[in-house]
Amino acid sequence: MATKPHIRELLAESACEHNQPKKTACNAPIPGATTGGCAFEGAQIALFPFADAAHLVHGPITCLGASWETRATPTSWPARDLTQVGLTTDTCLNDVVFGGEEKLAVAIDQTITRYHPQALFVYATCVTALIGDDIDKACREAAARHGIPCVPVHAPGFVGSKNLGSRLGGEAILTHLIGTLEPEVTTPFDINLIGEYNVTGDMWQYSPLLEELGIRILSTLSGDGRIAAIRTAHRAKLNVIVCAKSLVSITRKMQDKYGIPWISLSFYGQRDTSAGLLAIADALGDPALIERTQALVAREEAKLGEQLAPYRELFAGKKAVLNTGGNKTWSIAAALQDLGIEVVATAVRKATEDDRAKAREYLGEHGVLMMDPGAEQAKLIDEKGAHILLAGGRSLYTAIKKGIAFIDVNQEKKISYGAYAGLLNLAEDLRHALESPVFSLAGRRAPWNR
Amino acid sequence: MEQVKTRSRHKSSRSLQINPFKLSAPMGATLAFLGVHQCMPLMHGGQGCASFTKVFYTRHFAEPIALQTTAVTDVTAILDGGDYSISESVKNIVNKVTPQLIGLYTTGLTETKGDDVSGIAKRMEVPLVYVNTPDYEGGLEQGWSAACSAMIRQLTAPADSIDNNCLVLLPHVSLTPLEVEKIVDFMTAFGFNVVTLPDLSSSLDGHLGEKQAALSSGGIRVEHIRDLAQAGLVVSVGASMIPCAHELQKKNPQIRHHHFPHLAGLVATDELIKTLLDETGFHAPPLPVGRWRDRLRDALLDCHFALGKTRFILTGEPDMLAALCAIISEAGGKIAAVIAATDSSALDDLKADRVIVGDLGDVEDLAAADFDLIIGGTHVEALADRLGKGMLLRGFPNWEQLGNQLVHDCLYEGGAYFLCEMANVITRHQHHSGQR
Ligand code: SF4
Repeated sequence: MATKPHIRELLAESACEHNQPKKTACNAPIPGATTGGCAFEGAQIALFPFADAAHLVHGPITCLGASWETRATPTSWPARDLTQVGLTTDTCLNDVVFGGEEKLAVAIDQTITRYHPQALFVYATCVTALIGDDIDKACREAAARHGIPCVPVHAPGFVGSKNLGSRLGGEAILTHLIGTLEPEVTTPFDINLIGEYNVTGDMWQYSPLLEELGIRILSTLSGDGRIAAIRTAHRAKLNVIVCAKSLVSITRKMQDKYGIPWISLSFYGQRDTSAGLLAIADALGDPALIERTQALVAREEAKLGEQLAPYRELFAGKKAVLNTGGNKTWSIAAALQDLGIEVVATAVRKATEDDRAKAREYLGEHGVLMMDPGAEQAKLIDEKGAHILLAGGRSLYTAIKKGIAFIDVNQEKKISYGAYAGLLNLAEDLRHALESPVFSLAGRRAPWNR
Repeated sequence: MEQVKTRSRHKSSRSLQINPFKLSAPMGATLAFLGVHQCMPLMHGGQGCASFTKVFYTRHFAEPIALQTTAVTDVTAILDGGDYSISESVKNIVNKVTPQLIGLYTTGLTETKGDDVSGIAKRMEVPLVYVNTPDYEGGLEQGWSAACSAMIRQLTAPADSIDNNCLVLLPHVSLTPLEVEKIVDFMTAFGFNVVTLPDLSSSLDGHLGEKQAALSSGGIRVEHIRDLAQAGLVVSVGASMIPCAHELQKKNPQIRHHHFPHLAGLVATDELIKTLLDETGFHAPPLPVGRWRDRLRDALLDCHFALGKTRFILTGEPDMLAALCAIISEAGGKIAAVIAATDSSALDDLKADRVIVGDLGDVEDLAAADFDLIIGGTHVEALADRLGKGMLLRGFPNWEQLGNQLVHDCLYEGGAYFLCEMANVITRHQHHSGQR
């Protein structure tokens, strides 16, 4: 079976927001002016959360050596958490000259005998793709030898961005795993969560609510994911994409192939969480379920409202400037607003058209969408009298100079801001930042600088 | 007392790395260029290598990191011999900022396709140093030292006279910014004018300043690299830095070279002082040095009880391992195994039962009874927790703890702090695991 996905075809997916009107240029990074991760990283983000599968990276040391154990995607898998086991063939000069297939075959055997995974993913990277190592063959033969699914992932870094890589990772799942096993039971309320990676336990903030409503998470791609579950994903009644446009192509194909409808939503902030839960119930279409969901949403909102009351008092009149990228441009803005903080500006330089429209919707006509945040944010802090700046580490000094509080939103977060309960975590972090003495102390003038 | 010296070291027989702490040569070159003032490191490869590297160091140093990529794609990989992506990169960089130097270095991808970076570099009209660092060869130390040698080879002007007051320090990659500063201060106290290459002590030392991370800030100035060959002596620290010293001597054969495998513990610091006394003709070091020596001797006596009963596994870069091995064995600690990211002459004659070039998979293969405590980067944490072992975090990466740039384990002073910290970690671990 030829498993190399057709990159052009994937790029042409209408789901690639900035695809039209130009065809491929949107994905070509600019030499000397590029910051994002590569396609391999995207595949890693999408697939590594399967903790019951081994993830073998076929390439030189940079690809895995610098990247394993970097993302906190907790799992309830009771055996060894293979997400956090770094495995690589560590391609050396010899392999580059003579080919790395033999070494790969041995590495696969050693991985499987050592860890007994439920499946094995083999990731191509730039060097091994360039020298033409045949990972399809390696996987096919290994699957026959060991009797577990072995999935080749063709997302070497140089084919494109992180987003494309996530999509390629999803393609590999679709081609090799989905539909290869039947679930023991099915329910009318079986859903797949697509693109939810359970970073810092985000998914666990709302999965108990789904459970309470009688909605079953049949499988996930791939937060707290199980190989056995994703193999049965074709029997779900609904695909739910969580904050991950890059995987729309997968759900669309599943709709064509298995007739599964899909919706896309996010669980950031109170409004999105409530809307998300209701959207799932609506899509499943059961009147009793919809009623149950409405009641649950009302209950949770009331509970949260009570818990947030002291914070809202504290945050009354506070203004924030937000400088980040992607869906965070509006999702964090929405969460801040839920807490009663006015978001006076958000950066949209690195956002898609869709994200920009959403940002405009949330911020209203007076909110500023910054196209050049580096230059604009300092001015806006003064003009609008902002009290806090939420941005990447590079902007810290701006906040210090202005003597206002700062939160690094691009840092790997340690706790979840997801769903209702996560909003409390965010509120607590904001309170901390706003009350902390460090920002004005750090900006204090030295005694010799009169 | 004396432990058996290892006869030889062995490499893991596996065909894969399991939980590796090996880091790539381009990552080492990145750091070296970050030790130059107003430099833009430019990695010639796929965009992911630079992105991973940037995130890696940003988390380790808790600082913004300047780094760009030529962003080679599957299309340019085939159509372009590097000319296009490199010249486009340079154009786009200088459009936004004015670097004093661009540090251009390769990766596995661009070496595999055979780009001629030296030829391309010569055609560039900006200050630029190039170096070949395929990530399928060597590791962090080799990349750091290759970049350092390249800077000397391509920037330093030959000289035929020397200034005996001027000393060039060549620190290995694992010395922290504060350690470099302490070593410089130590030498300065003997009256030397010290220039460090690469110099992370003023660039990645975690100081608050108006940094936009557009370019590196702090570090050695390019004009000082040009003048290096006028120094009277060059001091290399770490086996990986010997080639750099030789490179400098090629620019001026009169420069005297002193090499130290490391500067950890009593004996090594004594050796450094002997050299500095010989070079200056002084009879004794400045006063505070002596006081710190007394404190270290006292720490050795205070800490030997805890360390002497502990069996260690040390993991990381070879030059750092040589240092740790020395100071721990000075205090009587038993080293069950040294596991190095890459092979190096730094691993010769270490006082350890085993010396392995490998990964954390090798630690899992050792009998659990073989050791009590493991030293290494962030990745050892999960392992120590799972096996119920004590641990101390040192080396790259350390994403869990803050203040990595302020860690100071070398010379008399750092040695005294290190031994006390080590002893405290051991005692606390024994307490928690119910041993006494
Ligand atoms: S760009 Fe290529 S070589 Fe670099 S990390 Fe990504 S896959 Fe690996």
